[in-house]
Amino acid sequence: MTGTVRDTTQATSSRALARAGARDMTPMVIGVVPFGLAVGAMMGSSGLDPWAAAVSAPLILAGAAQLTTLQMLEAGSNPVVIVVSALLINLRILLYSASLAPWFAGVRLRTRLLLATSVIDQTHFVVVPRFEQGDLDHRGRVAYYTGASAWLVSAWLASQLVAMVVGAELPESARLDMAAPLALIGLLAKSVGTRPAALAAALGVAVATMGAGLPLHSATLVATVTGITVAVVAEATS
Amino acid sequence: VTTWLVVLAVGLGTYAFRAAMFAIVGARDVPAWAQRPLAYVSPAALGALVGGMLLTAHGTAEVPGLAEAGAVIVSFATVRRSGNIAAGIATGFLTLWAIAAVTG
Repeated sequence: MTGTVRDTTQATSSRALARAGARDMTPMVIGVVPFGLAVGAMMGSSGLDPWAAAVSAPLILAGAAQLTTLQMLEAGSNPVVIVVSALLINLRILLYSASLAPWFAGVRLRTRLLLATSVIDQTHFVVVPRFEQGDLDHRGRVAYYTGASAWLVSAWLASQLVAMVVGAELPESARLDMAAPLALIGLLAKSVGTRPAALAAALGVAVATMGAGLPLHSATLVATVTGITVAVVAEATS
Repeated sequence: VTTWLVVLAVGLGTYAFRAAMFAIVGARDVPAWAQRPLAYVSPAALGALVGGMLLTAHGTAEVPGLAEAGAVIVSFATVRRSGNIAAGIATGFLTLWAIAAVTG
């Protein structure tokens, strides 16, 4: 009897946590939808095999790498160079995987491999601060993560599909392309609480800007690793 | 066929990055030496992404326009004060549109 009662409470709180995850993800959804519409419109008007282009969205599930892949394919670049460039852009995901993985250590492997499908910038940025509050067990963390990532992924895929099928006429003067950076600026404002963290962010900005011309689109990765390294050194010497 | 193979290779490679640490870090803890760097993944990656989006164009560094810079500053300040990211996006856009309207 008590077991049944506890199960009901747990189910309710799992659902509530999934909803909370989705709610916390909403600003990021506002950020990615205009980008998804732009990528979708580009796919609709490109000369690429529409099915391959459509499948690239759920298969790659990372906007910058997907866009680079499709643009380079259309430009007729060397296939090996395309794959290396796109994977270098996405290598940062390995850092997100490393930072998220310990939070799911108690979860069974099959579930972990399923959760891994939606590891990306926004899921990492939104979910980690919530987990760091320390009040959730691993069941709660799975629920929160699932709610957050399901909302992000479905909005991202839907925006691409809609724009690809019916096209998207975004008024240029509205500057909806600024939604993505502004959403990330909000996260940045929340994540620079300590001096090493602020230093990591500043170095990230500086190196990404100065290194914009680095080969194979590696600037973001190099900037991220530099930022982390400098922050660790700063923390150790302070 | 090339298109399919490239898309498939990028997709599978990306999933390998995603799943790698989820598969390795099972029941055991992350070693202490790895915990420090992981704490700075968010600020460093956010800085790098934002810098790439706002301060570069076509592979070179670029100075942002007044409207963009104003929007970023107001948005940042809003979230610092309120902790509300959606509010930051809203004030950022209002600033962007206001400056664009004035400067034409």
